Amino acid sequence: MPESPRPRVAALALAVGLVLADSSIVVLALPEIYRELDTSISGVTWVLVSFNLVIALAAVPAALVARRVGPARTAAVGLAVFAGAGLACGLADELSTLILARCVQALGGAAAVTAALELLPATVGSERRSATVWAAAGATGAALGPAVGGLLTELVSWQSIFLIQVPVALVAAVPILSVARDEAATGIIETEVRRTGKPHLWANLALAMVSAAIAAALFLLVLLLIEGWRLSPIEAALVVSVMPLAAIIGSRLTDLVSDSRSRAAAGAILVSGGLAGLAFLPKATIVLTLPPQILVGIGLALVLSALTETALHGRSPQAIHGGWTISSRHAGVVIGLLALTPIFTADIEQQRHDAIDAGTAVILDSSVNPLLKIDVAERVSERLEEEQGKVPTIGPAFEPKPVDPVERSEVEQLQGELQDQLDRGATHAFSTSFILAALLGLIALFPIALSRRVDL
Amino acid sequence: MSGEGRLGGRVLILGSIVASLLLVGAYLAAGGSSYEPKQIQDPCQPRPWSDPQTLAQIANQFTISALDGAACQLGVSRETLARALATPEARERFTERYGIDDEKLAKAVRAGLLRAVDDAEEAGALSPLLAAPLRRALEEIPLDQAIEIINDAQGFLGDVEGFLGPAKGIIEQLLPGGLGGLGLP
Repeated sequence: MPESPRPRVAALALAVGLVLADSSIVVLALPEIYRELDTSISGVTWVLVSFNLVIALAAVPAALVARRVGPARTAAVGLAVFAGAGLACGLADELSTLILARCVQALGGAAAVTAALELLPATVGSERRSATVWAAAGATGAALGPAVGGLLTELVSWQSIFLIQVPVALVAAVPILSVARDEAATGIIETEVRRTGKPHLWANLALAMVSAAIAAALFLLVLLLIEGWRLSPIEAALVVSVMPLAAIIGSRLTDLVSDSRSRAAAGAILVSGGLAGLAFLPKATIVLTLPPQILVGIGLALVLSALTETALHGRSPQAIHGGWTISSRHAGVVIGLLALTPIFTADIEQQRHDAIDAGTAVILDSSVNPLLKIDVAERVSERLEEEQGKVPTIGPAFEPKPVDPVERSEVEQLQGELQDQLDRGATHAFSTSFILAALLGLIALFPIALSRRVDL
Repeated sequence: MSGEGRLGGRVLILGSIVASLLLVGAYLAAGGSSYEPKQIQDPCQPRPWSDPQTLAQIANQFTISALDGAACQLGVSRETLARALATPEARERFTERYGIDDEKLAKAVRAGLLRAVDDAEEAGALSPLLAAPLRRALEEIPLDQAIEIINDAQGFLGDVEGFLGPAKGIIEQLLPGGLGGLGLP
């Protein structure tokens, strides 16, 4: 009886989803890592940047190795390296160790993902079907990543994000090992694939620009929610889950419009529109982040699929061109993070000072009894000292509340006004970065316009 | 499949532009461009008193005027100085950060208190009879006591009123010209 391809397809999809989730899974854990490893925002950004940078650099060489050494063996070794490095990430107690382990993890991940694209056509029966499975697995992983990361960070620890990847990677490697044994027994059979076309410059360039905007959207929004608005990782995970949910809706639109260039342009506009919406939030309220997230989500589904299709259309071997798309996307993530991190880090610091000054002005100008006011001011100052460098939680500074109903009402009003100033500062701190990310999305329209139209 | 599909590419692009503009327009109309922290005022600019009635309200205005005056002398914001004077640790950090010694701080705080007395007098919250000796007392006051007055202006003004209030009544009765007879400002 012939062996069913399902476990192998599932294993390959799991491998792709796991690796591509890793690009974003750690986003919600960054504030926790930032606090626990006592580093800076710029420093902790490298936990993301290093992984994406190495994947960007290693994707195409990994695809070449997979074709030369054998895709199953490459995928199996890649997953083993990914698992081992994941273990090292989970045990890291210093930022430098964590970043180094992330680099090694990315090397293994790049090998597994590109080799999977080489293995899938034989497993599922066609190149087009394999591209669909590969893209869907990657999108699912990237979509679920932040939510899973947020849940694990809050329920267990940030280390658990990496430790849990170890058994998952090994489970994915098992069915691939049997193919690897066949490869070893029979030798490498170079698939006779006609090499068609150079990498699609404009589509890959647009992918990089759009990915930079999307990465910035996710990273900035998570920081705004956790560091600015003081949400827990689980709460933040729930909020940012709107983006992948909207992406699922957006993927339905893909079937309605066959022209990939129009879909790409519409997607880039929606991503930029959503980011501009986040830049001009009129209040620090979660509900107001939802419409921009919906636009970004629908936009990313349209633009990523359209540009990937354009980049792969009529080109062979798929693994190499798939490698180029992966490389472009992750390079874009790196560009987005590296370009925006210094800007929003400086803005956060400036806005923190402005918000604290504004909050102090609110306390001084309030009608609360001076003695009570001084008491509150001292406790707020203590909160500032306790949370050096961060936007403070001021609730405890107002406890216990006065018994007198008039004084109590005045103190509650003061607390509300003070919180409002801090929220304004935290929200405004991200505005410039969101605007710049929106511009990156709009810049992608130029290469999209230059890419040729593909009807699928 | 080829061609435009069930939905035209141009329709999709137009829809994206409209949706984006609607969102951004709505957020801007709701105040998205001005959602930022309140701008703080230059302490060297006058801050008018808002007709205080009770001792607590006078004390509040007095503290603000004193902070404004001291902050203006030191070239920092009133808010920065208020936080610096809240605790000894905060004061130490402030003096280190801005390179200000205790003598300079004392001079500035005294200047602030004098401005507060001027403002209180001008607003009619402090009688000239009380203001004159108060000024003299504040001119040489040690730093810790000066900070204490800023932190507890209500207690300080209450004490002043309690100590000088009866004397003020006697002087008013003895001098035919009232307080003007003293030639005080």
